[in-house]
Amino acid sequence: MEQIDIKGLEVSVNGKKVLNGVDISVQRGKIHVLMGPNGSGKSTLANVIMGNPKYIVNAGSIKFDNEDILKLKVNERAKKGIFLAFQEPVEISGVNTMNFLVTAHTNLKGKNPELRKEIIKKMGELNLSELFLKRSLNEGFSGGEKKRFELLQVMLLNPKIAILDEIDSGMDVDSVRLLGEITKKLSKDTGFLMITHNENILDYIKPDIVSIMKDGKIIRSGDYQLIEQIKKEGYKQLI
Amino acid sequence: MEKIEFDYSKYDFKNSTAKYKILFNEGLSEDIVRKISKLKDEPEWMTDFRTNAYKFFVKRPVPEWGADLSKINFENITYFARATDKKTNNWADLPDDIRDTYDKLGIPEAEKKSLSGVEVMYESEVVYNSIKKELEELGVIFCDTDTAIKQYPELVKKYFGKVISPNDNKFAALNSAVWSGGSFIYVPKGVKVPMPLQAYFRINAANMGQFERTLIIADEGSDVTYIEGCLPAEELVSNGETFSTIESISKGNGVISHKGKKRKVEQTFQHKHVGDMFTIIPQSKGNSFRITGEHPVLCIRRESVMTKRKKRYNWEREVSTKNLMKAEPKFIPVKEIKKGDFLVYTAPIFTKNSNELNDDKLRLLGLYLAEGSVSFNKAIKRDVLQFSFGKTEKERELASEVLKIIKKNGEKGSITKTRGGYYTVASYSKTFINLCLKHCGHGASTKILSKEIMELPAKKQMILLRYYWKGDGNIYIRKKSNSKMLRAATVSRILVYQLQEILARNGIFSNISIRKASKDIINGRKIKRKEQYILEFTEDKHLGEVRRKDNYFFVPIKKIIKNSFYGMVYNFAVEKDNSYLVKGFAVHNCTAPVYSKDSLHAAVVEVIAHKNAHVKYITVQNWSSDVYNLVTKRAFAYENSFVEWIDANMGSKVTEKYPSVYLMEPGAKSNVLSVALANKGQHQDTGTKAVHLAPNTSSVIQSKSICLNGGRTTYRGLVKVKKGATDVKSSTRCDALIFDDFSRTDTYPYMEIDEEESTISHEASVGKIGDEQLFYLESRGLSELEAINMIVLGFIAEFVEELPIEFAVEFNRLIKINMEGAVG
Repeated sequence: MEQIDIKGLEVSVNGKKVLNGVDISVQRGKIHVLMGPNGSGKSTLANVIMGNPKYIVNAGSIKFDNEDILKLKVNERAKKGIFLAFQEPVEISGVNTMNFLVTAHTNLKGKNPELRKEIIKKMGELNLSELFLKRSLNEGFSGGEKKRFELLQVMLLNPKIAILDEIDSGMDVDSVRLLGEITKKLSKDTGFLMITHNENILDYIKPDIVSIMKDGKIIRSGDYQLIEQIKKEGYKQLI
Repeated sequence: MEKIEFDYSKYDFKNSTAKYKILFNEGLSEDIVRKISKLKDEPEWMTDFRTNAYKFFVKRPVPEWGADLSKINFENITYFARATDKKTNNWADLPDDIRDTYDKLGIPEAEKKSLSGVEVMYESEVVYNSIKKELEELGVIFCDTDTAIKQYPELVKKYFGKVISPNDNKFAALNSAVWSGGSFIYVPKGVKVPMPLQAYFRINAANMGQFERTLIIADEGSDVTYIEGCLPAEELVSNGETFSTIESISKGNGVISHKGKKRKVEQTFQHKHVGDMFTIIPQSKGNSFRITGEHPVLCIRRESVMTKRKKRYNWEREVSTKNLMKAEPKFIPVKEIKKGDFLVYTAPIFTKNSNELNDDKLRLLGLYLAEGSVSFNKAIKRDVLQFSFGKTEKERELASEVLKIIKKNGEKGSITKTRGGYYTVASYSKTFINLCLKHCGHGASTKILSKEIMELPAKKQMILLRYYWKGDGNIYIRKKSNSKMLRAATVSRILVYQLQEILARNGIFSNISIRKASKDIINGRKIKRKEQYILEFTEDKHLGEVRRKDNYFFVPIKKIIKNSFYGMVYNFAVEKDNSYLVKGFAVHNCTAPVYSKDSLHAAVVEVIAHKNAHVKYITVQNWSSDVYNLVTKRAFAYENSFVEWIDANMGSKVTEKYPSVYLMEPGAKSNVLSVALANKGQHQDTGTKAVHLAPNTSSVIQSKSICLNGGRTTYRGLVKVKKGATDVKSSTRCDALIFDDFSRTDTYPYMEIDEEESTISHEASVGKIGDEQLFYLESRGLSELEAINMIVLGFIAEFVEELPIEFAVEFNRLIKINMEGAVG
């Protein structure tokens, strides 16, 4: 089974411990929702899986397909099929968006002479203007557009495991619905680790697993009914 | 063939200046300056100008306000050198890339005799003269400055040294004393020069000299763009699947050695070459290549394989095939080889079968290569694969064969007869669309065969080739030899060399000739013909003197042309066999030592833009890292004129260059856009001056600098507004991108504003290359180096947009090369 397995992960950044023994797994074809209060370490976890060099792994393991990926470079993890949709996608001046997509696609999926058409089609589905392709990467995009652009990349790059770091924040209601539909469709082939604060997204998708994180640890895991409980009672009751 | 020995003792690794007959390198004196002037047969005023300048040079100290220049040894510099050989006067003697430049500009071809057979000559002087004629008709003068002094003495005298006085600075003084070469341009009133002018246009190659002097005069209402910089030789190197330009090959890449095996590149080199450059033109003229004299090529001397037979009738002594087959090729430096000697064309010997590519598919791919296309049908929003055949019965048969293959594989397709009576096969089959795109590429000029096809066993490749021939080929009988020639034409440059390689793997040598791009008129419509590559061979006879032995072909050299050259050359070291193939021909790793001596480049460029004129001056500076590049560039901009300096500096050890504009009269405008890249050991001290001497003048200054591995960039700029110059607008923006803590960037924006009624702005930013940006790009599969390159090219994108497209591509590549070592 293609899946990410994380065991006993301890991570620090700038000398401060931020993850204190995380155990979690994400399976291909399943949706795993990760929730928890701000600062609980959710984004850190997302960054560490992708290999952000800012974070130091002190203990534990991350395996993908039973292979230890902690030693792999960021782009090597991407080539294995791991994708991170960023909470705050960076802007890069002068880097043409179309050019960026083609380069990313060529690196991860190979050349596709039809890519341009595919991009335009998918942008249509996401209600993103073609004009973005002529702009600099993420420059002049609104918050919601940046998030939809991340989603576009999930659709184009077709990863095995996609980590969506608060992709729904900054999205309007229609976009959240669209996000739900697309995720559901893609989840046949892709495993999702969906980090969110927003229970509304869960009106459109039915997660296979829900985990709650606090103080750098997973404190509860369960099925989607856990969300109902959070909706009613908030985190405090769970903690 | 296996035991090719290499005798190192044969080469002399002496100073490359040995090729020059007249040489002054014993330091500088007034006497030497006079001698230079006398040798050049100059008028008295120029001799006086030089000696006067020499006095300033002696008097002025080496400037200490900028980069470290203390290590320049003025005694150790060659101030004047004249090559032993006469300057070439023949267009045909020009190297390919120079002619390519013309093609990119769409110069009309004067004669269309190129299809007349194997003996296609590069277009001769006609083409060169046609551009010269075009410029002459416009009244534009474009020649080297030495020639201008003789031919247009009054014009030169009026402007020479008027924008930059010999006393301006020590290096302008030095240039004024010893200058040689450079361009002279005069554009008459109202003339807009339709193409960018480049030093290449000038038939004498002395343009890249150390002390060149350029003078551009744009008369009222005229418009001209000038490009300075060197495009390196784009020689194609085989790696057994495709051909790459020599500059684009990097460490770890595979190339084919002279033994026909795949070998890894261990190291790449680029260095400045001063001296001779040889163009080797073998029997197949499309395989001509340029190479430096020290570089050994695999060769059989003609004299070693001649017949013993005495002269009979008026026959020349001939080559004995028997001797040729017995001869052992040797690596011989290019400067020692002669016309008539045999080069060795090597066919790769490794193969890899593919189950996917059965005979049927190869037949179909052959026809696709010739007649096929994939396009998007907008009406039904689907891709469609099409084969367009002719009207004959034979063509109909080919069409039905294609359809049969498609159907045999369980896919759908159809044949239609167009109104004109042409047979067309169309199919929406994804399988076949993908097959064609994967193995043969897309679009006529970019058709290219896949790795799988290039590595197939020779016999299978021949299936594809035969079907390709059925589509694009034709057959004719050569009268002279009564041999049946097969010929095909393509506009894909890579494809033609691939086809040649496939034929060679099948034991057949083929000739490539090039039919130049041209403009033409068909049915009253003006069309642009692309450059065509014509491949021909015969299966029943030898092609000229070419002989085969195993996977080698001995190909006679038809012509060797020697030019003087000053620019970058590329080379690399290959594991085990120490050789690689340039357009199929075996050459050895270069043995010439990299010539390492700090040298000085001190040029002076003067620009005069009269009323309403526009002058754009583009520079891409890529000197090797031992050059002190100290250049003075200045323009006078008169009423409502517009002067642009587009200036990139990425080479040299030290550059001090501040292209300036003096805005002399109301309405004058200037735009200075510059990029500086400093890697290890480099200091780019660059900037500009905008001197506003009249009201309503405006200046825009943009500077982008990048430093890494301890490199240093300095922006030094001056904006000056004279009292009385009201309503002046000036904006300056300096951005710096810094990679590490060892590198350094400084900004010194000076302002002398003596007029209150002016709008002056200055912005500066220094950014470290962003870790989050790198992480984002790497998470999308880019390596660290690719990510850095992408960010850097983005950083300077505005600059690249100012370059003509063919230069933009080249420029991006140069930036990447110069970013070497960006990743620890």
